Amino acid sequence: MTHSLEERLAAYIARKMPEARGISVSGLERISGGASRETYRFRLAWDGGERPLILRRDPPASLIETERRVEFAAYRAFHGSAVPVPEMLWLEEEDDALDHPFFIAEELTGHQASPQVLLSGLYDAVLPRVAERKWTILGEIAKADPVALGLTEVMPPPALDACWRRELDHWEALIDRDAVEPMPVTRAAIRWLRANPPPPAQKLAVVHGDYRTGNFLFDEAGDIHGVLDWEMAHLGDPLEDLGWSLQPVWCFGREGMAGGLVPPEQAIAAWERASGLKADPAALHWWTLFNCVKGQGIWVGSAKAFISGGNRSPIMVYPAWWLINAQDRAMLKLMGRL
Amino acid sequence: MIPEVPAVLAELAGLAAKNADPAVPPAERASDLMLSALLLALAAETWDRQAHVLVEENRAVRALLGESGEDADLRLSALTAENRRLRARLIERHAEAEAAGDTAACEAIWAELAASTERRKISSGPV
Repeated sequence: MTHSLEERLAAYIARKMPEARGISVSGLERISGGASRETYRFRLAWDGGERPLILRRDPPASLIETERRVEFAAYRAFHGSAVPVPEMLWLEEEDDALDHPFFIAEELTGHQASPQVLLSGLYDAVLPRVAERKWTILGEIAKADPVALGLTEVMPPPALDACWRRELDHWEALIDRDAVEPMPVTRAAIRWLRANPPPPAQKLAVVHGDYRTGNFLFDEAGDIHGVLDWEMAHLGDPLEDLGWSLQPVWCFGREGMAGGLVPPEQAIAAWERASGLKADPAALHWWTLFNCVKGQGIWVGSAKAFISGGNRSPIMVYPAWWLINAQDRAMLKLMGRL
Repeated sequence: MIPEVPAVLAELAGLAAKNADPAVPPAERASDLMLSALLLALAAETWDRQAHVLVEENRAVRALLGESGEDADLRLSALTAENRRLRARLIERHAEAEAAGDTAACEAIWAELAASTERRKISSGPV
């Protein structure tokens, strides 16, 4: 069956590749997941060539409201570096071509992303290798110079002593806006975070914003071939990303294992080796708890998008139902209350 | 749970009907079915206990706030509305107790927050 988007996509790409003849799009299918963007894979063919590609299109309402231009720029900045990412091809910010803004990128084929697959037992022998690569790559992101990468052009740089406040203000405001129910544990965590701020950032860093098990492509040898989902990328404290990666909900039920992979000490050591930075335990605790608040901001945002009718997809319900209680549990544990 | 269960079940019913069409691409149907299954399992887990959880929680929070009364209307919508009122007040009381250095009150509230989180625990949750 031909997907209704295929012809429109082919017409768009033909305008972007005026020198190519015989352009066609086939095999377009939606990839599961993707609560912040609709993600499709398809095959592009033209006279003399073909290529598997990915289409990432904005949905009517999103789990995370972000500028796709920032996401596109983050991918482009790291392409060809020690941080593996797919090549970005075209960014379209107008609605004319496919009804919503989108970008098109290279598809990195033959790899897995699913945390359920990674933690199914089949990959147990290579989990330490995955973890070493995962936090080494995160260390490379932390080490990168956002000015040299040109990212200060699209991402506002906060002062080093203002990183924490900007992020906390942002996510508290989203919770104020989107929470349908009172959230006493989250509110208590926010009060604690404000009363016990972390030290200034060691450096201004690129923050991926959603660096967790499930957002990278891995193979059977435990290597990582692509870091995905940069839609929350911004500039800030490098410990923010490390804290998100250590957020308890991302252990996927393997309590005490960072990202479900290895003990946190191993993850932190790999990050410190690669980044050349130090993860001060008290500061990292602050950022890990903060990331629990951020998580609640995302989960209640997805619920709100469903309730308001902006996006009635079941993917908007699942994070709220599955994670809001778990996120409360994580916060209580981090605050020594559970 | 938010979104509330009836609204989600209604949406899943529509999704099931949509996927009865043989023209739906297999990958999209598979994704819809998997998510629907996960959501139905979560709805099933909370269905029987939900009224009990809310009544117990409302009783505990009223005690912390020094309020009297019991839930007379046992419809989930009524229990939820009262629960939201009480938990909003609990947030205020917690902040007041922290500001006043009232350790005993804080500890009592923390104990209820832990108990509440346990009551609402999802068996498949990652934490």
